[in-house]
Amino acid sequence: MSSHAIVIGDDIDECVAAQYLARNGLSVRLLHDRQAQQPRFLQTGWIAPQIVRDLELSAHGLSIDQRDPWLQIELPGGGRLELTRDIARSAEEIGKVNRHDGARWAAFCERMHALATLLQAMYAAPPPEPLASTFAGRFDLARLALRVRGLGRQGMTDLFRVLPMSIVDLLDEWFESDALKGALGTMGVMHLCQGPRSGGTALNFLHHHAGCPPGVFRQPLSNVHGVLRALPGPSMLEGRALRVIVEGGTVEGVQLATGEEIHASVVLSGAHPQHALLDVVDAAWLDPELVRAVRRIRSRGVTAEVTLALDRDPGFTTLTIAPSLDYMEHAYDDAKYGRMSREPFIEARYAGTAEGGEHPVHVHVQYAPYAVQDGTWDAERAQALGRTVLDAIAAAAPGIVSSLVDHTVRTPQALEREFGYPEGQPYHAELALDQFLWMRPVPDLARYRTPIRGYYLCGPAMHPGAGVPGAAGMHAAHTVLRDLRTRK
Amino acid sequence: MSTTRAYDAIVIGGGHNGLVCAAYLAGAGKRVLVLERRERLGGAAVTEEVFPGFRFSVFSYVVSLLRPEIIRDLELPRHGLHILPLESTVTPLPNGDYLGQWADHDQNRRELARHSLRDAEAYDGFGRLMHQMARAIKPFLAMTPPDPASLAPRDVAGMLRLASRLRGLDPQHFHALHKLLTMSAADYLDEWFESGPLKATKAASGIIGTFLGPRSPGTAYVLLHHYMGEIDGVFRAWGFAKGGNGSVSGAIAAAAREHGAELRTDAPVARVLVTNARADGVVLENGDEIRAKLVVSGLDPRRTFIDLVGAAHLAPEFVAAIERFKFRGSSGKVNLALSELPKFTALPADGPHLRGAISISPSVEYLERAYDDAKYGQVSRRPYMDIVIPSLIDPAMAPLGKHVMSCFVQYVPYNVQGGWTDAAREAFGDTVIDTLAEYAPNIKSTILHRQVITPADIERIVGLSEGNIFQGELALQQMFFLRPVPGWAKYRTPIRGLYQCGSGTHPGGGVMGASGRNAALTILRANA
Repeated sequence: MSSHAIVIGDDIDECVAAQYLARNGLSVRLLHDRQAQQPRFLQTGWIAPQIVRDLELSAHGLSIDQRDPWLQIELPGGGRLELTRDIARSAEEIGKVNRHDGARWAAFCERMHALATLLQAMYAAPPPEPLASTFAGRFDLARLALRVRGLGRQGMTDLFRVLPMSIVDLLDEWFESDALKGALGTMGVMHLCQGPRSGGTALNFLHHHAGCPPGVFRQPLSNVHGVLRALPGPSMLEGRALRVIVEGGTVEGVQLATGEEIHASVVLSGAHPQHALLDVVDAAWLDPELVRAVRRIRSRGVTAEVTLALDRDPGFTTLTIAPSLDYMEHAYDDAKYGRMSREPFIEARYAGTAEGGEHPVHVHVQYAPYAVQDGTWDAERAQALGRTVLDAIAAAAPGIVSSLVDHTVRTPQALEREFGYPEGQPYHAELALDQFLWMRPVPDLARYRTPIRGYYLCGPAMHPGAGVPGAAGMHAAHTVLRDLRTRK
Repeated sequence: MSTTRAYDAIVIGGGHNGLVCAAYLAGAGKRVLVLERRERLGGAAVTEEVFPGFRFSVFSYVVSLLRPEIIRDLELPRHGLHILPLESTVTPLPNGDYLGQWADHDQNRRELARHSLRDAEAYDGFGRLMHQMARAIKPFLAMTPPDPASLAPRDVAGMLRLASRLRGLDPQHFHALHKLLTMSAADYLDEWFESGPLKATKAASGIIGTFLGPRSPGTAYVLLHHYMGEIDGVFRAWGFAKGGNGSVSGAIAAAAREHGAELRTDAPVARVLVTNARADGVVLENGDEIRAKLVVSGLDPRRTFIDLVGAAHLAPEFVAAIERFKFRGSSGKVNLALSELPKFTALPADGPHLRGAISISPSVEYLERAYDDAKYGQVSRRPYMDIVIPSLIDPAMAPLGKHVMSCFVQYVPYNVQGGWTDAAREAFGDTVIDTLAEYAPNIKSTILHRQVITPADIERIVGLSEGNIFQGELALQQMFFLRPVPGWAKYRTPIRGLYQCGSGTHPGGGVMGASGRNAALTILRANA
């Protein structure tokens, strides 16, 4: 008899997990909550090649858009800096702004890529278990140790030094140009409630470099979600999970909001662990220490999204407004005390004509703290945010003003409502060194298992999590399959 | 120019680490000469009569981290070290209330409960965990960091030992250690407490000597570093040295002398003599050459390698790595001579609170805002302060009935906008007094004299680069086998015969002496 599995949620990780389970003979139902999750038009992030291969995504129409040029910024003295994946050409471009920086570009790209490659390898497997006592666990640790040693003295030194650093310290060691450092620095604070001078932001920078070609510090866009949802295998079920049914410490199924109970011997949830454990599971099954640890997971949303509808091509594929690291630090200063940045960092992406013939431009805006001081994200605040963004973009790309048809603002609270991002944080658990690898999201949950037999977590809060969509789903599914084999 | 007789070892710098190193080397029978630039020994651990009758621990001002094995090995109590306990911390608040942390368990609990019942419950658990973490880390303090990139058997064995030590921790402690190494003090404390003043006063020890705000990852470790103190076997015990911190150096110096070390003051070293890539002596600023089989520098890495050795003798990558080492001094000192005791609005009577530390740290946001000013090159408009009145505990520090007050102040950036002029120094002093007056209104009328010390002054007087009190920031990327430079964290240097023993090496600063001792043991192993 094949096992029945329910996957709660139908975001990328859930779809990937469902696919792996279905392809290994499980009968899988994907629970889709229309109210909580809307499909995104395009997704940002590195799709691990393993997933593309295993699920034959390319044959099903996966298209990955690695922008080239990947960075376009307006220079303060006029002119534009464009960086491409061609390292020599980028070096030349940077050299026009600052000779010293241009000369260092190639070495910087090489050294950062060596570290990102190590991260890629670590993301391709479940997190290492430093305290493992099993043979397999020790073997994995030894392999990791050898891999780190394989970086050589220079690479190891970079690794140990860079991970805890601030992105300001890292970039200051390499470059002089404010414009270049500002634009690169954005990746250090992406979706993080920290400023560029905070420790750990260099890790965030490397995390977003993993999977990119050398010399590219922007993650690609893809249509992966749409492709996954169109794959055959799991059956779709509409409804909201009200409760995960547990009997004697073992999962029995899911009760829907309608009251209907669906039985299954395996349940996976892509929701934030706070929701997946504290809201839908009877707390009696959980150790109070674990409950406390789960409550402490940091998920502070700091971004808003603005979508511009234009009647023609905006003349850029990407546009970054982050003129210096100090600019970003000031932007963080506001957010730190619960205010929207007066001068936020902005990244606009144009992905070509949409179906209706419109020209949508997607704008990432940071910092927009989820928890604003005195009050909430009301319409007035949202409007003000929209104006700030429009003004900034108009200043950088004046041509856009006359082509603007409409714009919509998504505040962090709207992101939570529409896409199910807890506190508006798409990464669920912030990517910081204390919520990384075996600490993600908390040590006792790092291996995708929960204290309830048969109940697993597979969302972005799990290793490697956000920015590597689908990988947590794949690791979680492999864990399920291994457990099913050993249980028999 | 004259050449004097050869020594086994010359120690450059008579700070506490240099003296500890010299004492251990001399104790092992080596002929040792210590050369101190200033007219007095002690480095940043000195007592000076700055104003007639008023004696100050001018720079470092409390004792806690000094390693017990050093106190024991060098028999420091016999040489005059006497530590008086510093038991309480009081945080006065802008609203006229205060938060006290007292030595008496019940009193402490009652006081915390006044602010938050939950915090009163959590307090013991927090203290216990920090105590256990300090214990877990203790073996690493006395360890010569192995080099992870080396294949030498000793390094490989060292890494394996390190791994097995870490793997030997129970999971709860392993994860707590991971968190302490990587989190911000503010986030870490949020997991335990809810009372603003309590979190801020604890978080303050996470920012001392660093150029990070309490919400930046990396500050939780500095918090733990300050818990590693141990006096008479009691962890997290802080104290005053009777006679000021100069008597700590004095006791170590006496031990070194007793073992036969020669200690010379007013002897500034101009450079280290390097012959055939080997250090074989030093040249003093007056031109005297002194030869020795080896040279040990207690100065920070920048002074040692850039100033005394010179880039010409070193590989460019090594020089680049030294230049990357971050100092960024962020703290200053204001020493006051008082005609009478200050009256704090929150506790107007002359009570026991004045015999402990007084912390100006009403909230984490207060500390964070203090950092905001500093990161753009300003002295904090409202700085964090750690205040003690040593004359209440050791009356010999001031004339009868009068007092000395020491204010440690942060953030005071080394790279202040406009540079450190006399006017800037006085303005900084005024900021401190004005801040103090908000909590103790009578302070201005009690001040007889004031001494204001900026990071630039610390650099000029003591020689600590950029005035960093730890000889280099205590950040994760500058610790253990990365301190001061990867590959050269084992007290050795690329110059044969030249060693480092300052707190710019593992395990770092805080009148700990561990660097001096570890260096001496390394030297003795290599030159038995």
